[in-house]
Amino acid sequence: MTGVLHLSGVRAGYGQVNVLDDLSLEVGSGEIVVILGANGAGKTTTLRAVSGMIGRSGTIEFDGHSIAKSSPDAIVRAGVAQVPQGRGTFPELSVEDNLRTGAFVRSDREVGADIDRWFEVFPRLHERRTQRAGSLSGGEQQMLAIARALMSRPRLLLCDEPSLGLAPLITQELFQVITRLNAETGLSVLLVEQNANLAMQIASRVYLLETGRIVATGSAEELSADDSVRKAYLGF
Amino acid sequence: MELFLQRLFDGLSQGSVYALIALGLVIIYRGTGHLNFAQGEMALFATYVVYQMGEWGWSIYPALLVGVLVGFVVGAVAEVALVRPVSKKSPFAVFIVTIGLFQFLNWLDGAIWGDQLLPNSGVGSKQSEFPSLFPDKPDDFVSIFGAAIKIESICVFLLVLAITGLLFLLFNKTKFGLSMRAVASNIESAKLVGIRTNTVLMASWGLAAAIGAIGGVVFAGINNNVNLGLMFTVFIYGSAAATLGGFDSPGGAVIGGLAIGVIENMVAGYLPEWVGQEMKIAVAFIVIVVVLLFKPSGLFGTSKVERV
Repeated sequence: MTGVLHLSGVRAGYGQVNVLDDLSLEVGSGEIVVILGANGAGKTTTLRAVSGMIGRSGTIEFDGHSIAKSSPDAIVRAGVAQVPQGRGTFPELSVEDNLRTGAFVRSDREVGADIDRWFEVFPRLHERRTQRAGSLSGGEQQMLAIARALMSRPRLLLCDEPSLGLAPLITQELFQVITRLNAETGLSVLLVEQNANLAMQIASRVYLLETGRIVATGSAEELSADDSVRKAYLGF
Repeated sequence: MELFLQRLFDGLSQGSVYALIALGLVIIYRGTGHLNFAQGEMALFATYVVYQMGEWGWSIYPALLVGVLVGFVVGAVAEVALVRPVSKKSPFAVFIVTIGLFQFLNWLDGAIWGDQLLPNSGVGSKQSEFPSLFPDKPDDFVSIFGAAIKIESICVFLLVLAITGLLFLLFNKTKFGLSMRAVASNIESAKLVGIRTNTVLMASWGLAAAIGAIGGVVFAGINNNVNLGLMFTVFIYGSAAATLGGFDSPGGAVIGGLAIGVIENMVAGYLPEWVGQEMKIAVAFIVIVVVLLFKPSGLFGTSKVERV
């Protein structure tokens, strides 16, 4: 297994406050890695440290190259795309323009073909292609945010709580799409979630994050066999 | 009828200048949510540069080109050196900084091109002659339905329509325009898709000031005169235009500018005793107040609605 993303000794936070304290984790090529954690554990901060949105220190390597000091746009160009938490779309822009922004770092001529491709994967976005993104439902916006991230043709997709505020059925549909993409294209995924039940089903490996530190790691089966983990995150 | 048409075209050509200033205000507001109080004075500085080129023997069109470039640089530098550092602290700080820039630029213009040792508010200061971009001799008129309309007025109006068209293409058909709209819509997500948001903001301020520079040169040309107070009232009319059209709508800014120009001229022309030339700036304030009372987002602006 060759690592796509490698973090070790990462500290990051906002202003003087460190949210992440000596965080280490690994995403292998073609893996779906899930980080579980409660509110405030540092899940979003972890993703923002990888995508360069906040100040951070320590080792962050993507494909063997350090991105610990790179700007967000350089990290997108390198092949990392983040789906932000909640409604991270451009509400005033049409669905199609939202997808176009996703291809901002590309200069090839296949952008139109890619847009059509994602319209096939997400037919509902196709129906609403000229509508403003702000008028879509929560699930549709989440799909749009994922499709937009994929427009940059990333090799690593960062997903920030895709299930937030969505009906369980819609969440399941989203997770199916992510699994399918992973299987078909070998896209590596780092996904943070509070919703452990669903996320564990698609995970190659799982990390548990508590107050800025990884406290446990293993396969989904291993972790759901662990009593304390089960009580805290799965609720049975 | 003739009088009506004359007032209409006078209004449209003056409104064209308001539209250009309003466009600059809107471009900056959309990008950063800031109201740039120095918009008029950045335009005036560029206008004085064009005046200076004329003194050095340049003809007006190449001088305008230089003025537009200077305007762009002034706007871009203002964003990078002044607005960006303080906007991290507080939006009110930006408000104060743009007022300070307003004062500074007017002082600088006075120091270079004024005639007083200690230039002040610009009132009663030196009036310098300024050439028009378009034919404006006393007999440069065309007859439309019997009304004698200045060729200059028609040209100014067409120029603004052309600039509006070009901006529309820039916003909607180019990658840079897409990145400007993305930054205006959600700056966090714009960063996440790889847009260099700092570059976009810098270029937005540059673009706004460049358009303002055209507005300043056109207005000085209509008046055949440039002076330190030239842009004071224009800025107020431009703000009224942006308020009327909607602060986040470029198309609205143009329509708002033209509307304010026409309303102002009609009211001053048809109510000479009540309003007249002296009081017509009050019309701009009344428009601002009425719009803010009944449709705060303006005619074409989007009111912020969020789905939860």
